Amino acid sequence: MNTTTDDYFNAFTMDPWWPIVFAKVLGLFILLVLIVLITIWAERRVVGRMQMRIGPNRVGPLGLLQSLMDGVKLAFKEEIFPTAADKFVYILAPILATIPAFLAWAVIPLGPMVWMFGYQTPLQLTDFPVSVLYIVAIASIGIYGIVLAGWSSGSTYALLGGLRSSAQMISYEVAMGLSFVAVFLYAGSASTSQIVAAQEKTWYIILLLPSFLIYVTAMVGETNRAPFDLPEAEGELVGGFHTEYSTLKFAVFFLAEYINLVTVSALATTLFLGGWRAPYPISLWAGANEGWWPLVWFLGKLCGFIFVFIWLRGTLPRLRYDQFMKFGWKFLMPVSLVWILIVGFARAMRNDYNWDLRQTVIVIAVPIIAILIVMYIIESIRERRADAAVAEEEEARTEFDPMAGGFPVPPMPGQSYTPTRRSKATVGVTALPVSTDAEIEEA
Amino acid sequence: MTGLATVMLSVIDTGEQITFWICGSLALIGALGMVLSRKAVHSALWIAMTMINLACLYMAQGALFLGMVQIIVYTGAVMMLFLFVLMLVGVDSSDSVVETIRGQRLAAGLAGLAFALMLIAVISRVTLGDVGTQGADAVYGGNLQGLAALIFGKYLLAFEVTSALLITAAIGAMILAHRERIEPKKEQKDLSKERFLSGEHPGSLPPPGVYARHNAVDTPALLPDGTLAENSVPASLRARGAIRTVDRALGDEVQQLAAGDGSLEGEDLR
Amino acid sequence: MNGLIALVPIPTPNMDLGQIAPLEIVFGAALISVLVEAFVRREGRRRVQLVLVFASLIAAVAALVGLAGTRTLTAQASVAVDGPALFMQGTVLLLAIVGALLIAERSIDPAGDAFAPRASALPGGREERELTAAGWSQTEVWPLFLFCVGGMLLFPASNDLLTMFVALEVLSLPLYLLAGLARRRRLLSQEASLKYFLLGAFSSAFFLFGTAMLYGFAGTFSLGGIADALSGNAGDNGLVMLGVALLAVGLLFKVAAVPFHQWTPDVYQGAPTPITAFMATCVKVAAFGALLRVMYVALGGVRWDWQPMLWIIAIITMLVGVIVAIAQTDIKRMLAYSSIAHAGFILLGVIAVSEAGIASTMFYLAAYGFATLGAFAVVSLVRDSSGEATHLSQWAGLGKRSPVVAGIFTLFLLAFAGIPLTSGFTSKFAVFSAAIAGGATPVVIVAVFASVISAFFYARIIVLMFFAEPAEEGPRVVLPSAFTALALAIGVAVTVLLGVLPQPLLNLAQQAGIFLR
Repeated sequence: MNTTTDDYFNAFTMDPWWPIVFAKVLGLFILLVLIVLITIWAERRVVGRMQMRIGPNRVGPLGLLQSLMDGVKLAFKEEIFPTAADKFVYILAPILATIPAFLAWAVIPLGPMVWMFGYQTPLQLTDFPVSVLYIVAIASIGIYGIVLAGWSSGSTYALLGGLRSSAQMISYEVAMGLSFVAVFLYAGSASTSQIVAAQEKTWYIILLLPSFLIYVTAMVGETNRAPFDLPEAEGELVGGFHTEYSTLKFAVFFLAEYINLVTVSALATTLFLGGWRAPYPISLWAGANEGWWPLVWFLGKLCGFIFVFIWLRGTLPRLRYDQFMKFGWKFLMPVSLVWILIVGFARAMRNDYNWDLRQTVIVIAVPIIAILIVMYIIESIRERRADAAVAEEEEARTEFDPMAGGFPVPPMPGQSYTPTRRSKATVGVTALPVSTDAEIEEA
Repeated sequence: MTGLATVMLSVIDTGEQITFWICGSLALIGALGMVLSRKAVHSALWIAMTMINLACLYMAQGALFLGMVQIIVYTGAVMMLFLFVLMLVGVDSSDSVVETIRGQRLAAGLAGLAFALMLIAVISRVTLGDVGTQGADAVYGGNLQGLAALIFGKYLLAFEVTSALLITAAIGAMILAHRERIEPKKEQKDLSKERFLSGEHPGSLPPPGVYARHNAVDTPALLPDGTLAENSVPASLRARGAIRTVDRALGDEVQQLAAGDGSLEGEDLR
Repeated sequence: MNGLIALVPIPTPNMDLGQIAPLEIVFGAALISVLVEAFVRREGRRRVQLVLVFASLIAAVAALVGLAGTRTLTAQASVAVDGPALFMQGTVLLLAIVGALLIAERSIDPAGDAFAPRASALPGGREERELTAAGWSQTEVWPLFLFCVGGMLLFPASNDLLTMFVALEVLSLPLYLLAGLARRRRLLSQEASLKYFLLGAFSSAFFLFGTAMLYGFAGTFSLGGIADALSGNAGDNGLVMLGVALLAVGLLFKVAAVPFHQWTPDVYQGAPTPITAFMATCVKVAAFGALLRVMYVALGGVRWDWQPMLWIIAIITMLVGVIVAIAQTDIKRMLAYSSIAHAGFILLGVIAVSEAGIASTMFYLAAYGFATLGAFAVVSLVRDSSGEATHLSQWAGLGKRSPVVAGIFTLFLLAFAGIPLTSGFTSKFAVFSAAIAGGATPVVIVAVFASVISAFFYARIIVLMFFAEPAEEGPRVVLPSAFTALALAIGVAVTVLLGVLPQPLLNLAQQAGIFLR
């Protein structure tokens, strides 16, 4: 008799409340707050380096305590309620944003079975058959915090920022959800620990690279981070949804934002990078995937993702809003759908006809390559035509005298510039009419 | 969370009952709040609360997937779109609550109450047969798998036909909202041409006159020939007639200034 | 916590694709039609869509003829292929073909077809004028129409409540949209669409609620399964009664029975006339098909509980329909109330609970459908400068100006009134006798009484058309293109033929009138 899902997941419910569950919850909380503090510090230091600055280095060794100090400072600031604010919702919003951010970590597997206070227990708070969907659901509740913050502030910038960010998160949640589908199809489960278990041999970043790329793009959009940080576009919206927030309420938003960043990174690690499994050369050592060691590999992968986030912020300029939405709906979504079709086809062929990987790849790749070749040919013909049209236009260009009207003017489209008899250098100089005193006196 | 998992995954009756009483009451409070609150956004929030609590109840019944989908789709997407519309349109309590048909609210309330009483009277006496997820889940080894077997097995046709519904909805949204361009989109060049052809001032208007002693938006700038540039003063001031008049003397002053003679006396430019 | 859980494979469902061929053809054509919208150039779209629609509808009819005599459950027992299903599907398809002829008409209105050039343009705005002048048309009407027909084919054939609900939505959603696309009097049309949508969504909720109740009772959605559960259950069946009542609300809304009829006059009046024609006929056929199936197959065991309820509804439907129709001054609203009254007459066939009841209902639906299509086609022909002239006063003296059109309309009115030698007489006779055999004599007495009242207001219009002086600035009758002419010809032919020679169709209906469980 196979173990059913119920039997498997009931193992999590065997944990005694005291001390195991309590310890896990407390541990997760501390871990998250610490990661956030360090991430904020690291972000400022790394971006500083990237921008030829030093970054905070005064408070504590290497400036490590800077974020803590900032938090303390925020707590002591003056509490401000905008006159137009809807007070109840205004207070509710940061709470709604933060609690889901913490809750999502309940299902992230940090390691395999470990011994804790004399009990053997998985290094994961809980798990159930649809735990990845649980993360998505929790994230979608988190969006309420942001929308409501924008609305309840009674300010236009905040409202626009809130709407923008929720529109962005909803749009990218779709692409994100689609990238999960391929993982579910391969793992045969939507539970995080099962997905990690299914990656024992090959990580899904190798098997499902397009899904991984889509997920990584979507996760940056989902967390409102640069280059997709449009909701907080300072030049347009001051500060976005939290424009009107101050003190601890602002700090709490900040906290939620960074926890979300860490959460999506953890999810990426779990779904595509084998979760807590040791990377290749280390995995040859038998003890690498046992005991507390996996926590190290997990946190290492997590830090890698966080660094990428920071790197992106230091490197890329912000997108324009319409471009960003177009990218999400018109590129990421269709690509994900096609990719799911391919993955589904491959899985079905393997299940029903025992195709091996090579066969599948050939059957899928040949038509795709054929389509690409045809598209390339069509495109090159079109390009040649366009070139011919440009050449024709070039020929049709009329002669143009920049000084015809007495003032030098630049050529219009369709006209080509030919140097006049005057030397090239003087054309530019005479472009600036300089009035002499005498002229003014005449007037 | 382990507590929640316990409730969700085992059939411990007390756990399920506790969940029921908590989530059920909250769902009911949410529903009442939705009807009773004055602000549309508050109503939307209350109903979101009801939906989340219903999702918890589904999960307590062992329908994990349904519960998650309820949150993701209804709370996360549908209600969110509602909120969008409410916030953008700005529906609030200032809207008229006058009844168009007299006594409608009373009648609706009574009818609702009667309906509720009927439902309570019937459902409270009901003994349910073999309904629920346990039996169905067991066959394929779990709720998710059982659901998949139903959707892609017994109800395959209904599932496929649902896609017709979605396509219809998409076409409908497009018909009602999408505007195909009749003419090609105006490029920067076309816009600029249009601006010049319109005959209005093509660029930004000249700024008001700002001189060493006079720095006010109601002072018109001077054109090179010494005449006043009326449109350099904001239109609202022009309409109010609050333009400072600049007489000819100013033109001379300007010439003096331009000539580099800084010895202007304190003469008021009015 | 290591190790993967082994998965139990899900067996591949087997579907006999041949047995649902009409459905597949129509839905397939609908999908192609969407692609046509996306890929064919604007100038060519209408022609391609017309070919596609008529070809697919005719092919579906052919497939249906090929299935004649089949009695089986298919698609995992979610679709029944039996006599009533095939008869209803055939009726829907034939009516849909005639309806499509009306929708395709383009030469009645000088500006083009009956639909707004672009639904998203502001009514009466500059954009609308420009588009009208440029001769644009909303060809998305066709995919919507095909999806709607697909839903109507599935609705009376669904063998479980879940499939039935999905079919109900598939047929309703396109109609909500189509009702709001009228070219003339667009605000009225949009209001109609919104009303229909809101009330329709509400009634769907009732249907769903009823489904849940019945599921709670029987533990299954399947109609046969519910019937089994009913026959095995002797005691308390509160859930069943609640379920039946709620389910009936959903279905009676679609057939426009009183008191769930409030939307009908507004929607019939506001919707573009070809859509009104299509809606008044095909929806009624599909909805009565589903009502018959639910009531007979699933709930036959508790017929003593629901029969009195339907008796009352039939009586008030007929009475409200005919009495309110008298007061109407708008021809479309008058036809709407007349259709409500007819829903009451058709309910007589349902409450008979017999094979004769099924057969007479099906016959009535077919006969009434063609006459209604014809009547609305005539309405679309009588126009003045602002569009259709629907006010009754404008119809005064029409018979003197164009006796042919007025004569045709008279024929349809006589059929509605149930005068001998028209299809209306035969069909009324059939349902009345079935109802009497089923023990519903009191209802039939009311029905006869209602028929007399209805004859009064139909006759009033005939008198108005032929014996009143034409108004000075009266409307004129437009000469239609072949599309409407063909539709009218079919309407007239069927109405006369079923009045004179009803036996073949009656026999067919009687042969087909047995539900499969």
